[in-house]
Amino acid sequence: MSLFGVLRKLPSFNAIHCHINFLGRIARQQPYSMYQPFVKEPTYSIEKLDQLIESGEAKKREFVPVKAARSDHNVSVFHDELTSKFINMVMEKGHKEVATKLVETAYMKIKQMQLAKYYKATTDAERAEIELNPIVIFHKALENCKPVLQLTPIKRGGATYQVPIPITENRARFLAMKWMILESREKERTVHFPERLAYELLEAFNNTGKVVKRKQDLHKQCETNRAYAHYRWG
Amino acid sequence: MAVLRELVVFPSKCFRGVRSYFFSAPLFQNGSLKLNESVSKDGHALDFEQSDTKKMSKAMKSYMERAKIHDNFIKQQLHEYNIGKRHLANMMGKDPEFFTQTDVDEAIRYLFPSGLFDPRARPMMKHPDEIYPKRKAAEFDVNGRPYHSLFYTSKPNYYTLMHDLAVKFKQLDRHEDKIISRGIQNQKPTELFLFGSEWIPKQKIENVLLESLTDAQYVNLIKTFERFSQHPYSVIEKDFIMQFRRQLAAQVEIQQVPELMRDESGRPYMTYNARRKTSNATVKVIGQGTGVISINETDIHFFQREQDKKQIIFPLQFSDMLGKVDVVATVDGCGTSAQSGAIRLGISMCLRSFVNAETIERMRLAGLLSFDPRTRERKKPGQAGARKKFTWKKR
Repeated sequence: MSLFGVLRKLPSFNAIHCHINFLGRIARQQPYSMYQPFVKEPTYSIEKLDQLIESGEAKKREFVPVKAARSDHNVSVFHDELTSKFINMVMEKGHKEVATKLVETAYMKIKQMQLAKYYKATTDAERAEIELNPIVIFHKALENCKPVLQLTPIKRGGATYQVPIPITENRARFLAMKWMILESREKERTVHFPERLAYELLEAFNNTGKVVKRKQDLHKQCETNRAYAHYRWG
Repeated sequence: MAVLRELVVFPSKCFRGVRSYFFSAPLFQNGSLKLNESVSKDGHALDFEQSDTKKMSKAMKSYMERAKIHDNFIKQQLHEYNIGKRHLANMMGKDPEFFTQTDVDEAIRYLFPSGLFDPRARPMMKHPDEIYPKRKAAEFDVNGRPYHSLFYTSKPNYYTLMHDLAVKFKQLDRHEDKIISRGIQNQKPTELFLFGSEWIPKQKIENVLLESLTDAQYVNLIKTFERFSQHPYSVIEKDFIMQFRRQLAAQVEIQQVPELMRDESGRPYMTYNARRKTSNATVKVIGQGTGVISINETDIHFFQREQDKKQIIFPLQFSDMLGKVDVVATVDGCGTSAQSGAIRLGISMCLRSFVNAETIERMRLAGLLSFDPRTRERKKPGQAGARKKFTWKKR
């Protein structure tokens, strides 16, 4: 028997559900997915792939099917995962192009403002301090806006207390992005979203501004509610 | 009795060790067994047995008869199968001595063509062992006393396996203790590499143990095995564990990369028909190229969105083939995102023939070679859309 014949006879994972019973799935409270539960997420970043292969993790995935790459995955030098996430959060009703344009305009504005400062600067030391890359500014700004704790309502003895609990990385990132977007969508109609976003990002980069203040207010509230922390465990 | 000699009889001791789970050659320890004679292991009748063995119970008699009938039936089927094989070989003009099961299947398919959908409904001729389920041999002697100590659990083989696992676990613990007491603490044992294989499914275990298991029992067994294989020194029992695992085919090998074709000018090329949602793309990647991209007879600006253009270039850039191959694609159906996704898949599948195995595996891990099965979710009755519900009214 040929090698191919042997291999075809060996069982292999079928990545896609063959029989999809919609109503049955809903009844079972499982998140609906066209993929089987064991199918892995794709790794498209070249550095991460190299890491996987070096560490030997890739060997474990040899026998497991991988999901298809998403539409916003690519290996372009201009690609930034965090920015993709942010664009998705800015997007409303599926208008991806509009959202991309808004965020990219904001980046352009940041670059313009920073360049203006750069040309105004007289000494080399001053110039070295000015950050020109809008993506670096965006990353740093988000870091400064991420809360460390969050409040959750817990009912004890008829009263509902706001109890501080630890926060996951994903939740912190989500909150930072959410606040940033909310602050940028304020009532002033003359100043449009990209400009406001640019200002907010720059302020957050310098650890000032409304979003950072919001984070600090949350931290203060957590501090005042320290006494209820043990309610977490009933 | 000649009949009972054919039955496979398990040794009367408890199961210990692996080989007892699988059928071995018939071993009939007591020689010929006469129905009305009492036989003990030593050969002479014991006093307290005398009253039982004078008359065999009706249950025992009917059991013996049934066993005899079944055995005869299987023999008959086997005989018919062998004769049938020879007839088929003669009909097909092949050598009857070297007529294998695959030849039999082919002959049946040729002589009895069937339009039925389910393969199990079509005519087949297989060895009786594959059609008629195997039965356990006599689990008790003529006096009705069971051989196996766990007989009254009604699943002796299953529980023996569980007990064996427990015993082996303790043995591994003792081994670990010994190693620690000798002070060889720093020595890490080799890890048991279980990737590339999965636990054999419930049906197979039932066939091996000859007992039907409930789902809960099967899950329990697998959990015990998982726990056992996670022991640091489980590599000692590797053979035992691997008997209950089956190998999987590596995903890359399943793909079977096709060979490059040559066109009139001698340039290598590859074609692929790719789909995404309801759009179809026919992609042709031509080697020895300069990076010319043609989509529906226009260039890459067929797509207005940056995202779509990036999708087309993604596989080329990923595999370092940007500027080295030409792409000619035709696409129709659905929207821009689906069309660009289809072309991306088409390009990736064609590029497999141009790049080495390592790059193919990298592309697979990046999700470039996977078909995207996501489709529009259907609207459900009683709801406004796929997920959106009508306004909830309390009353």
